[in-house]
Amino acid sequence: MLIHYIKIALRNLAKQKGLTLINVLGLSIGLACFTLFLLYSVNELTFDRFHTKADNIYRVYRSAAPMGDDPGNMDSYMPMPLGPALKQDLADVEEFVRMQDAGWAEFVKVENNVSRMGVAFADPQFFKVFSFPLIKGNPNTALSDPRSMVITQESAKKLFGNADPMGKTIEVKLEEKFEPFIVTGIAKDIPANSTITFPMLANYEFLQNTKSGARSKDNWRRSSYQTYVLLKEGSRLANDKARLQLFRKKYYPDEEERLRKAGYWTKQGPPVSFGLQPMTTMHTDTRIGGGLVDPVDPKTIWILLSIAAGVLLIACINFTTLAIGRSAGRAKEVGIRKVVGGLKRELIFQFLMEALLLTLLSTIIGLLLVNLLLPSFNNLSGRELKFSFSLYPQMIWLLAGLIIIVGLIAGSYPALVLSRFNPIEVWRRKLKLSGSNMFTRSLVTLQFVLSVGLIISTLIILQQLNFMRSKNPGFNKENIVVVDASGTDTDKIFPLFKQAAAKHPEVKGISGAEIGLGEGTGYSRSGFDYKGKHKEVFEYFVDADYIGLMGMKLIAGRDFDPRIASDTVNSVIVNEAMVRDFGWTVESAIGQQLPEYSDQLKPVVIGVVKDFHFRPFSEKVLPQMFHQFSDYRPFKFFVRISEGNPAGVLAKLQDSWKSVVPELPFKFSFLDEDLNRFYRSEARWSSIVGWAGGISIFLACLGLFGLAALAVLNRTREIGIRKVLGASVPGIINLISKDFLKLVLIAFIIASPVAWYFMSRWLEDFAYRINITVWIFIFAGITAVAIALVTVGAQAMRAAMANPVKSLRTD
Amino acid sequence: MLELQHISKWYNVGGARTFILKDINLHIAEGQFISIMGPSGSGKSTLLNIIGMLDEASEGDYIFMGQNVTQLKEKQRSNLYKKHIGFVFQAYHLIDELTVYENIETPLIYQDIKGSERKAMVADMLDRFQIVGKKDLFPTQLSGGQQQLVGIARALIAKPKLLLADEPTGNLNSKQGEDIMELFKKINEEDGVTIIQVTHSDKNAAYGSHIIHLLDGRIERAYV
Repeated sequence: MLIHYIKIALRNLAKQKGLTLINVLGLSIGLACFTLFLLYSVNELTFDRFHTKADNIYRVYRSAAPMGDDPGNMDSYMPMPLGPALKQDLADVEEFVRMQDAGWAEFVKVENNVSRMGVAFADPQFFKVFSFPLIKGNPNTALSDPRSMVITQESAKKLFGNADPMGKTIEVKLEEKFEPFIVTGIAKDIPANSTITFPMLANYEFLQNTKSGARSKDNWRRSSYQTYVLLKEGSRLANDKARLQLFRKKYYPDEEERLRKAGYWTKQGPPVSFGLQPMTTMHTDTRIGGGLVDPVDPKTIWILLSIAAGVLLIACINFTTLAIGRSAGRAKEVGIRKVVGGLKRELIFQFLMEALLLTLLSTIIGLLLVNLLLPSFNNLSGRELKFSFSLYPQMIWLLAGLIIIVGLIAGSYPALVLSRFNPIEVWRRKLKLSGSNMFTRSLVTLQFVLSVGLIISTLIILQQLNFMRSKNPGFNKENIVVVDASGTDTDKIFPLFKQAAAKHPEVKGISGAEIGLGEGTGYSRSGFDYKGKHKEVFEYFVDADYIGLMGMKLIAGRDFDPRIASDTVNSVIVNEAMVRDFGWTVESAIGQQLPEYSDQLKPVVIGVVKDFHFRPFSEKVLPQMFHQFSDYRPFKFFVRISEGNPAGVLAKLQDSWKSVVPELPFKFSFLDEDLNRFYRSEARWSSIVGWAGGISIFLACLGLFGLAALAVLNRTREIGIRKVLGASVPGIINLISKDFLKLVLIAFIIASPVAWYFMSRWLEDFAYRINITVWIFIFAGITAVAIALVTVGAQAMRAAMANPVKSLRTD
Repeated sequence: MLELQHISKWYNVGGARTFILKDINLHIAEGQFISIMGPSGSGKSTLLNIIGMLDEASEGDYIFMGQNVTQLKEKQRSNLYKKHIGFVFQAYHLIDELTVYENIETPLIYQDIKGSERKAMVADMLDRFQIVGKKDLFPTQLSGGQQQLVGIARALIAKPKLLLADEPTGNLNSKQGEDIMELFKKINEEDGVTIIQVTHSDKNAAYGSHIIHLLDGRIERAYV
């Protein structure tokens, strides 16, 4: 019976190629979209679960309660001695792994080829605790030597090509000089759903013996390493606050007392505590900072999935409305089947089977689309996803479920309608051709509500994004090249480079600063007391040319002056926000002292600049200051170049760099692009919502096209009679189009307030934001109506132009 | 075999009853070959549909093989007719998307007959009607007479006791019509299948053992 159904389904599909194409194409696109987001969601929700011991692995975090102005925080950067102390003091801790992430790229030398690559450090028991399989090398001993190193397959390919790297030497520039490491293992590439990632992994013991490592050794006050613990099976330590508190008290005996004395902590209980975060929740807990892969709010995942489900729903609705629309064509068959003994439920089953078959067909095409689109989607999502059932075994069940659900959603209503036909009525031509009953009308409206809503949202996100990218940040971000000199001996190199580069006429100025600007470049923020109140100020270590080079506006006092010696000792230039926060006026600010900045240093304000946005526009401008205190090192060189094509200048800058640092590659970025990277997430959202909106309006129009074609078909006779009676072509186009346009308008009226509500809430996250104007809605509305009009109009036109004699004769 | 008692059928049109059939009483015994005749709109097809359980009477009782059809549930009724009744139509009503073979096979599918058995039965039928060579063709590739042959084969495949035919030769030329009538006669005589046909043609009616004349929903006269 099944084969019989499949056969007739396929023949019916082949018979109505146009409609089948609309159905299959629409469903394939919808399914491809949803599958991509499903893959993404599965990846996010299965983060770190591939470790066989994942259930017993925890990351140590520190939780500081809110104190005074400080809202409190949680982070996972831990002091160096913590791991061994945990294992020693707490019997539940079976093993620990301390890790320094590969947060930045080091200079790496292989046979005199220098490139940049990140190096992570971890305790040798790393491969015992975590499940990162080694293709070559022994996991138990791979990291046992302080100079051993494990690299991933991908890194091996980059550094050694097709040669076998085992036993070869890799030199990494750490602090001042290149240090040799021996490759002792090759790890399988890190899966996309891992919080822990490393291109190269070296022994933690080596790190301990570097200059900066030595300062952290046995030091409980320097925290910059992630610490993981493997607990014994059945341990309850993670929930045992008292024991963890006792442990902290042992190593920070006077912490609570000190904070109480200073008046910061007045509540009951300890102000700071250690906690154990289950490894499996690391990726979905946005409260705890740390690690290289940002955690994701599960809410975002569900929002993305809902958007994708919306697109899929639109495709399902196409299936339903078109199936009902062409039900007349199947009526005869239904009648015959009933006469020869088919029961209603057998017919329902048959039509559901057809829907499932079509869904299956669409899924296959959809999966091909997924493979085609995955690279672009990875760009969008920022993940290296691979579509593989072995990597994500859940996908098999999810997809099977998806096919059934989509088949049922799309097919059940048509199945009910079709199976209800009565043979006698069918043959007497009494059957109403239900191309546009209340139900299908509602479905079409729903499709347009979703698409118009997404389009309005896209426009608003794009407008806000554009606003943030183009708003004047209070300095001139154009035409500045930022040279990354971290990892070099910058104190020595900067003056030499400056001298070499300044010779080029296109170079307008050069300044050094400790940090670059933009997402991921970091910031330093210090806290100190001023007149009995705790203050937090962003600090920028710069040189004397910085303010002028950046084009900031000095509104009081003076800029740094290289001829005034005290400027490199204690002068600071502050912004307006700091003036306000500290209770000064722009005029009175000059000459103010910050007596409690530190024990040795009492900075004096020499100038005030207009507020500027070094941070994203989603944040309010906070107190900030510039200074050139002597412990600063110029890791970034800001080079202002003349306008026009930068290629020529860049080549010259590279030459200058090579003349100063011949052994290391030249690395640069453009300041405006660095700053735009702040808005990566917004840009990502606008792309995702924009694509979803575009696809959904396309799918909705596809459906509309099919429905209009059917409406014309079903009304051929009516149109013929009207024309014979003297109706004009525009009159008939109007007759056909009116019905559909009404639906689009209703959809627009429903979608607008909903989109307005959600987008207002979204905009609330931005300190500086656009106002939602009515024009966006008008634009979206006109676009939707225009697209619908073109879609329906083409069909209506054909009907109106047809010769009525023909249509009446065939009836 | 079947009995109609005071069967009436009407539609309500604008508050007034329009009768299609009025107080029909009829007894048909097994093995009879009945022709129903009458002008257009006299209720022939409706009567046939009620006998075939495709339509329900507004009033009266219908007893089919000892069971009162009017009191049966839909499923029981469906079981009854798919086992015992076969239909042949003027417009053949074959499923265009199925081949000759598959069209004939369809009723068996709804009777849950196993695949191998179905194969044998259909092969038998194709053989008997000498259309083996056409089994893989689609209805649109056949002449009208051939299509009707397939329609009859489909009606007979489940070995029904009663064959209902609504102007089976209406769309055929006289030669084709004669062939079909000969076939009906053979089926009636050799297999003992009861046949009720609606027809306009006296010539066709003459093949039957009995003729019922309908006029305005009543039996005008019956030669039983």
